[in-house]
Amino acid sequence: MLASLRRGIRTLGSRRIYILMLIIVPLACAFFFLNLMNEGLPTRIPVGVVDMDQTEMSRSLTRKLGATELLEINHTFSSYHEAYEKVLQGELYGFFYIPRNFQDKAVAGEQPSLNFYSNMTIFVPGTLSYKGFKTIAVTTSSGMVETELVSVGLSEGAVGALTMPINFPTHPIGNPWINYSYYLSSSFIIGVVALLAMIMTCFTLGQEIKNETSPEWIATARGSMLRAIVGQLLPQTIVLTVVGVAIQSLLYGWLHFPMNGPAWRMILAMFLMVTASQSFGVFVFEIVPNLRLSLSVVSLLGILAFSLAGFSFPVEQMYGSLGIFSYILPIRYYFLIYIDQALNGQELYYSRFYYMALLAFDLLPFLMAGRLKRRALNPVYVP
Amino acid sequence: MKWFVNLFRVFRREMWRVFTDVGVLIFFFGLPLAYPVVYTLIYNPEVVTEIPTVIVDHSRTAESRDLVRAIGSTQAVKVIGYAADLAEAKRAWAEKKCYGVVEIPADYASRIGTGKPVNVDFYSDVSLLLRYRQYLFALTGVQIDKVQQITAERITTLAGGAETMVSGLPVNTQSNLMGDTSQGFASFVMPGVFILILQQSMILGVCCLAGTANDRRRFRRQGRADVPIPGDDYSGAGPVTVVLGKTLCYVVIYLPLAYFILTIVPEVFSLPHVQSASQYMPFVFPVLVASALLAQTLQVFVRERESCFPLIVFTSVVFLFMSGLTWPRYAFNQFQLFIADLVPATWGVNGFIRITSDGSTLSNVAGFYRPLWYLSAGYFITAVLLRGYVFRKKA
Repeated sequence: MLASLRRGIRTLGSRRIYILMLIIVPLACAFFFLNLMNEGLPTRIPVGVVDMDQTEMSRSLTRKLGATELLEINHTFSSYHEAYEKVLQGELYGFFYIPRNFQDKAVAGEQPSLNFYSNMTIFVPGTLSYKGFKTIAVTTSSGMVETELVSVGLSEGAVGALTMPINFPTHPIGNPWINYSYYLSSSFIIGVVALLAMIMTCFTLGQEIKNETSPEWIATARGSMLRAIVGQLLPQTIVLTVVGVAIQSLLYGWLHFPMNGPAWRMILAMFLMVTASQSFGVFVFEIVPNLRLSLSVVSLLGILAFSLAGFSFPVEQMYGSLGIFSYILPIRYYFLIYIDQALNGQELYYSRFYYMALLAFDLLPFLMAGRLKRRALNPVYVP
Repeated sequence: MKWFVNLFRVFRREMWRVFTDVGVLIFFFGLPLAYPVVYTLIYNPEVVTEIPTVIVDHSRTAESRDLVRAIGSTQAVKVIGYAADLAEAKRAWAEKKCYGVVEIPADYASRIGTGKPVNVDFYSDVSLLLRYRQYLFALTGVQIDKVQQITAERITTLAGGAETMVSGLPVNTQSNLMGDTSQGFASFVMPGVFILILQQSMILGVCCLAGTANDRRRFRRQGRADVPIPGDDYSGAGPVTVVLGKTLCYVVIYLPLAYFILTIVPEVFSLPHVQSASQYMPFVFPVLVASALLAQTLQVFVRERESCFPLIVFTSVVFLFMSGLTWPRYAFNQFQLFIADLVPATWGVNGFIRITSDGSTLSNVAGFYRPLWYLSAGYFITAVLLRGYVFRKKA
């Protein structure tokens, strides 16, 4: 066993690509994602105002728009077309349109209308600018109603009940700030770790066959496939788990992402996810013992995992024939554990199946170890 | 004239290398043909609907049932049942049977009847923002309907004389959505991903070609039997000719593929597709040129046929974020912008989604089009320099 392990450690040091892909790339990705989204919410959306009215009321409305945290008024225009042009050019994500004679009509009770335009081509700024515009438009409108009702002699309390008789206070559980980074970083960074674990597993095993060193690899393990595989991959398991836990401590310790359960549950999940991804890689390599083809398969699945695991679009809403594939991906179970344990702080009981599923992946390599052994003893490199 | 002959020779040689290598063919054809279809199928349901939701009704009155009916009839919500109290509802949530809980207070009906404002608490799971967003849209809709209904009743009974004055709001507000108004997820993310697939598959293929040639040279040195010749011997052609000839080869292969991905796939899946090919095909051309030149720059770092997988595959995730699709570009800092600007797909994605979803013309997106040529020029220089360096090393 020790000889096999020593061989595995020597492999790690044999080429720069191992250190690069197992340590530097995951840490650099973590830094990149966290640095990019460190504000949590992309506020100050560049938008414009088309002020056709040019009165006291329209200018005060423009000031109000500029004062909201969500919006950043970059331009004021004197026609719809100028503003629309800027949206087409991709400089602005929307604009607010104050029509001609707005103040006159509002005072005379002729119901002028405030228009706002949000570009939904890019989801987040589209939705947020819509929200920012709507808030200002509605408060302007209800502010006027209240003034009128108070002026006809109703008490302010009664006015409040009149204009807002029913409210839906929402309580987003676990992420009340609706921080985008919390949910994007927690899934995508770990997804990269899972992808690299699978790729490097196939890469390591394939190199043995490509370089015709695989008979020596089996001989070092004295003919045992279990010793051979564990010896070769355990050093990578340790390196990746340490890197993964370092990323977790960056997320939950340093940046205070929600961690509503004991930390060991996430650390355990990380370890199990790394071994499950490696086992998955070994299994794929046993089915297609060819360096390039096995790498193609794990890369394809590893990249599709970012969609199939339901990081953004819920699995139960996908077509059943595609959604079912999410259950063959180790990262899906890690993601479910993260939701239960870190974000929602559930009892361990509710995540029991996810931990078990991750463990079950470790049994996969046993299915066809004999096939891999035969190939390893007679290595043939097919480009 | 001699130069053109050489250029054509490089072009022909490169075509031969591409079409005789199964691995490269998978990257160049398998990936761009299959991936867009599979990816779109995953997101094709587009909108999140019928999210299982639990009601905790402490009021149990005709009014509260009326509210539950209103909530349950929205597109986003599917009421799966009533829970006796919050604890029971929480259990359903923990078991992932529901993703939202509506709690109606005991005095709901009496407060509505006596003209007092009432709060209906809504607890939402936020493991996915797409679900939360659908909930918010649904509840806002219900709230506006209820407010109008209740206010109309109250004003007639309570305010009497004020009725005429507040028959409607003094100012109407009207929201207008531009671009992709379907709000579907595939419609939002896929057009951008298509451009990324074009760039990434090309880089993978080109790096694979370079790695294979390196492998063959190494195997020959090691004296391994029946290894084919490296195949990247371009006697008589200088680095500029080689780079241009290869770029020509890759772009010629990719133009029909780009037409398939950007025209046929969006039409099949009815993704946003408002502009004609005459606007976006000229735009995509420099995306392909810049990608081909970037690929020829990166290929020097690939020493082995298979190392393009570990080195290139993960960058797709990084480049997706750099394009500004998930996290908008205005929230980048200067350093992040600088790095993102070096990737052809960043400009490609931003320009293409504006053309295809917003209906911008090529001249509208000039701000994204011009940098693609600057990048092409830059990567042409690096590719030629590195090619010259490789030639000298071999000599």
